[in-house]
Formats: sequence, C-alpha cells, structure tokens
Amino acid sequence: MTDESSSEGLLDSSLLADCSRSEPSDRPNILKALLAIQERIGYVPPRSIPQIARTLGATEADVAGVLSYYQDLRTTAPGRHVIRVCMGESCVANRCGQILRALKDHLGIDIGETDSGGQFTLEKVFCMGNCAVSPTIAVNQTLFGRVEPAQIRTIVDCYR
Amino acid sequence: MIHTTLFLSNDTSSRAVGVDRLAKLLQDESNVRLVRTSSRGAFFLEPIIERDMPDGRIVWCNVTADDLPGILAGQGGVALQSIPFLAAQTRFTFSNFGITQPLALDEYRTRDGFRGLEKALVTAPDKVIEELKIAGLRGRGGAAFPLWSKWQAALLTEEDEKFVVVNADEGDAGTYCDRMVMEGDPFRLVEGMLICAHTVGATRGYIYCRQEYPAAAGSMKAAVHIADEAGLLELDGRRFPIDIVMGAGSYVCGEETALLESLEGRRGVVRAKPPFPAVSGLYQKPTIVSNVLTVATVPSILARGGAWHASLGTDRSRGTIALQIGGRVKQPGLVEIPFGMTLRRVLEQFAGGMASGSRFKAAQVGGPLGSLFPESKLDIPICYDAFSDAGAILGHGGIVVYDDQTDMVELARHFMAFTADESCGKCTPCRIGSVRGRELLELVQAGGATTADLTLLSDLGDTMKTASLCALGGRAPYPVLTAIEHFPHEFKDRLKM
Ligand SMILES: Cc1cc2nc3c(=O)[nH]c(=O)nc-3n(C[C@H](O)[C@H](O)[C@H](O)COP(=O)(O)O)c2cc1C
Ligand code: SF4
Ligand code: FES
Repeated sequence: MTDESSSEGLLDSSLLADCSRSEPSDRPNILKALLAIQERIGYVPPRSIPQIARTLGATEADVAGVLSYYQDLRTTAPGRHVIRVCMGESCVANRCGQILRALKDHLGIDIGETDSGGQFTLEKVFCMGNCAVSPTIAVNQTLFGRVEPAQIRTIVDCYR
Repeated sequence: MIHTTLFLSNDTSSRAVGVDRLAKLLQDESNVRLVRTSSRGAFFLEPIIERDMPDGRIVWCNVTADDLPGILAGQGGVALQSIPFLAAQTRFTFSNFGITQPLALDEYRTRDGFRGLEKALVTAPDKVIEELKIAGLRGRGGAAFPLWSKWQAALLTEEDEKFVVVNADEGDAGTYCDRMVMEGDPFRLVEGMLICAHTVGATRGYIYCRQEYPAAAGSMKAAVHIADEAGLLELDGRRFPIDIVMGAGSYVCGEETALLESLEGRRGVVRAKPPFPAVSGLYQKPTIVSNVLTVATVPSILARGGAWHASLGTDRSRGTIALQIGGRVKQPGLVEIPFGMTLRRVLEQFAGGMASGSRFKAAQVGGPLGSLFPESKLDIPICYDAFSDAGAILGHGGIVVYDDQTDMVELARHFMAFTADESCGKCTPCRIGSVRGRELLELVQAGGATTADLTLLSDLGDTMKTASLCALGGRAPYPVLTAIEHFPHEFKDRLKM
C-alpha cells in the first residue's frame, strides 16, 4: 500500500485539486478539503497543513483552526475498523455504560485509542439516530441495535 | 407460478436489528418477491415482515429466522389495523411510511406527491406565504419560529442569489425523525425545498446532513439525482441544484448560523444575530435555514390548504408533532399526533409503559437542552405554550425515559460534560461555565462537595441561562438544574458533612 502522506507530509496534489473552489463562492472551503483528504487516506496529517494552506490559498492558522475544531477530523491514522459506541441519552438509559465496559475489556483499549495491532479504534458518539433500538454501536458503517454486553465478543470478532 | 410479495423496511434501525439477515434468507426462496419500504416507526416490533392476504395487510412482528416458514405458508401474523401503536396515530408527514419504496418516484406521485409543488407553482409567492401563515406552521428544529415570516423576509430581500438550506444535523440525542424522512420519503423533502425555492426566489439548495447518517445522505443523493433526471429540478426556467453536504461531528453546527459557517468551510462558530439568515445568511445572501421536518411538512400544507393544518393541534401549536420515543420504555418508536396530548398519556398509550422489570424515574423532553419531568409533572400537554410556561422546550420532539437505576448526579455530569465538549467557545458563560459545572458535579460524585458548591452550581446555571449568546449555553443548565430540583436527595446525600 502506498501512503499518500508519506513523503515529508506532502499530499498527492490531485487530492486537493477538486477542493480548492467551493461553488458558488470563490473562497476556499477548508472543511470540504479536509474531509476529502480524510476520505481518501483516513486522516489529515498535521504536517501537511502548510501544503493544504498553500493549495487552498488560506492561512495555515485557518487550516489548523478548522482541523482542530471538528471532532470527526482525525490527525492520526485510525485502525482498520472503527468501533463507535453511542453515549447519547437513549443509549445511556439503556445501559450503554455496560456496553462500553465490555468493549474496553475485550479490545484492551480506551476511548480514543487504537489497539497495538492497528485493527480497531474505539470512539464514542452522541446519538446515531438509532435510539428506538438502543443501545447502539457501529462498526465502520454498520449499525447494531439492542446490543447486549454478552454479544460484544461475537460482533467484534467477526471483523478480526 | 404464484408469487408471494413480502414487505420489509429498509430503515437503518430496522437493519440494525436484523432485517437484512431475514431478507438474505428470503432471497433464496424462488417464488418470493421482496419489497424494501420505509419504516412504520414501530421499531419495538422490528424486525417486521408484512404481506397482503385476502383480509388485508398482515404483519409478523419481532421475526426470527425460525418464523420464516410459517410466514411463507401464511400462518399467524396480526392485522395491521390491530396494532394500537399505529392505529392511534394521525399520520400526515409520515403518511407514506411503511407503505412506499423510498426511491420510487411513481409511488410518491401516486400518493399525492408533488401536488403541493403544483399548487405553489400557480400561486403568487405572497399567497403561498399567506397560506403558511394561516397554517400556523412553526419550525420543528427547536426554536419554533413561524416559517412564514422567514420566507417573507427572504422574499422581500432583493438579491441575485438566495439559498435554501435544510438543517439535517439532527443533533439532539434521542431524535431520529429527520433521519427517517431522508431515508424513507426523500422526495417529500425535495418537494418542500422546491416550494420554498420557488416562493422566495432561491437559486440553490443545500442539505447539511450529520456525518452519523450515511444512509440518509445516500438516499437523499439518489432522490435528488432521480428528481433531476425527471426534470423536476427545473424551476422557473432554470435548474435549482441541490447539494448534500456532510457535517463533521459538531453539535453546535446544528445552530443555524454555526451551520452556515460550517457550510462555508470554516469553524462552526455561532454568529451574532441580527442579521438573521433570511436576510443575510450563506455568503451573506438571503438564506432560509429550516429543519428537515419543517420542510417536509410544507408539501401537505400547500396540497391541503393552510386551514386544514390549522385545524389540527392547539391554539398556538398547529398541526402534528413527530415524537420520537426512546429510552427505557416498552414501545420505543415514532409517534405522529396532533399537538395537545399530555405527556403522561403519550407514555401510557404509545410508549406502553416501562420496559419489563424497570420503574419510571424521569422523562427528558427536548434533547440535551430540554428538561427532566418526574412522575408528578407528567400531566403537561405537549404543545409549545405549556412547555414554555413550564420553562421547558419541546425541542425536536425527542422523549427519553429513564428508569430507577439512573444515577441523576452522573446524568447531570454527563450533560455538563457534553456542553463543555460541544461549546463553540465564542462566549465565556458557556465556555467556562460548562467546564466549571462539570468540575463541580465531579466534586459531588467524589464526595468532596458542600452545600455552597451546589449553590454555586445553580448560580452558574443562572448566569449561563441569561448571558449566553445561543441556546447551547442558554439551555444547557436545564437538564442539570431540573435534575437537582426534582431529585435533590441524590445530590445532597453525596455532600461532605
Ligand atoms: C446548539 C443548537 C443546536 C441546534 N441543533 C439543531 C439541529 O440539529 N437541527 C435543527 O433543525 N435545528 C437545530 N437547532 C435550531 C437551529 O438553530 C434553527 O433554529 C433551525 O434549524 C431552524 O429551522 P426550523 O425553523 O425549521 O426549526 C439548534 C440550535 C442550537 C442553539
Ligand atoms: S452559548 Fe456556547 S455554543 Fe452558543 S455561542 Fe456561546 S460559546 Fe458558542
Ligand atoms: S441515543 Fe444512542 S442512538 Fe440515539
């Protein structure tokens, strides 16, 4: 696999080509550009901020500001699978704390961490709109509802 | 060969409890045709399989793989009309749910789709706005602002470009009706946007969709594409493009001005108002920012008339409300009813009481900026006036029920931590206050707090309420302060002597 962010933090210029203009304005849309980069390589390497700023015609401070503001923008590579556990109120009412504990125990990592093999990243989220069948977890884009702590092992191990 | 047609929902929550697994098993049956519809919203019954039988639509609930042979043989099941959760509702905005296939344009048309737009196209803009005024439609995203006056302001502001922005950030935990609309009846949202664009003279539309809703965004993109191919986006002689833009996980980006900042690609920080977006919004152009449900309600108002809408609900809360019930109840799901029923009745009649083995402790209405209602306060009618008189909000219609195992101090800390995480940082009461509030509650949890600390917490809450720029800081204290008000012993018992 070639890592597009490898050579001294420089991104493939095609990555940024589409993002430098945002119709109908001619000002750069920084968020759109950062999301596009993340979509392609999984995260936004902070060392590429100067290059992004230059390509977009924005200041480095502006790019860094947007990058740090949004929770979904990552600055490190995630594991191969991202597991998100919902901590929204309907899931709280339905004991998501137990689900979180089961996940932490099984994966051996805390929220915001990636396991040593780089397989799983554990994250929390506030509501996935799946409240009527809570508690909820998501593995990548797949949602699981009415999750019981005892199911965690089976669900996770399907992705190993 | 005789074909059996089975109907299964394709909604995210139906899939999260195994509908796809059943669909896969059924795919191998040679004479079975599967139709994937939107969801009826009776999620407690999912997975559901439906089938038309000589006596009408029959429904099998909480289906497992073992039930499939019986379903194929036509054994068992219950009549659709016999499900009280559904029969007792008044479905208008959700009238197609569980019936149509979300992306079937012909099915949408057959069920009165685009009748509202047709009407709007032959009606003068000020008459359309008059109709909305008669209808009494107030925004469903939380602030309950009358829709007609926004449209009026945008119409009267002369500009070469104007925008329609649908707020699909649906940030309140415990709410999911916007997701259902986008996944399940996307043409209704497109129709509402077109009516708005035609009326105020907008040139471009956006749907700002939260990142947690990939299926909703996918369905909207597909629907916009289909509508475009069918020539439906041709409006007043030019194309009205609609873009679906994904958010990046910020709650405050649901606030309309922060949303516009985010749409322009910057940090989602709240702008001071005025100017209001309807006059100066996206790129300083007149912009209607409206919630998904608000926009999706417009087509029926145009099709049936404002007076029809005004005939539903209560004096100052016209129409229906989409309640989204979640938490520790027997029957979580979507309930569309006219405004006015009491919270207690909703919990009894629709939520069906508590999940087995659980006892009621409190209901939270209106998301993380809403209030907690203990048993003694449940007789409040669900309408804007009664809620504002009680210092509460209906917000986006989410109801989350907690049982007696819920630790109110931990819940209060949870809310303050959420606000501290999500504050945009523009004003001090919210930015600093939420962090101080969280710290004080952590001190209570650790057994190190005194009565003076609780007083400090309540003073802090009052400052946030009065001095914050937007409703995040202004309303964040409510769940915390109502927790202390209604369950004082839980806090006092943990104080240092
Ligand atoms: C912190 C905060 C979060 C909000 N989140 C949302 C949201 O997720 N969805 C929404 O439609 N409105 C949200 N609003 C309300 C919007 O600011 C705005 O009032 C609404 O989009 C207008 O649409 P409506 O008139 O159709 O309700 C939020 C407001 C605040 C203060
Ligand atoms: S109240 Fe909070 S979220 Fe709202 S503008 Fe102030 S700091 Fe930002
Ligand atoms: S609160 Fe967890 S899915 Fe909504």
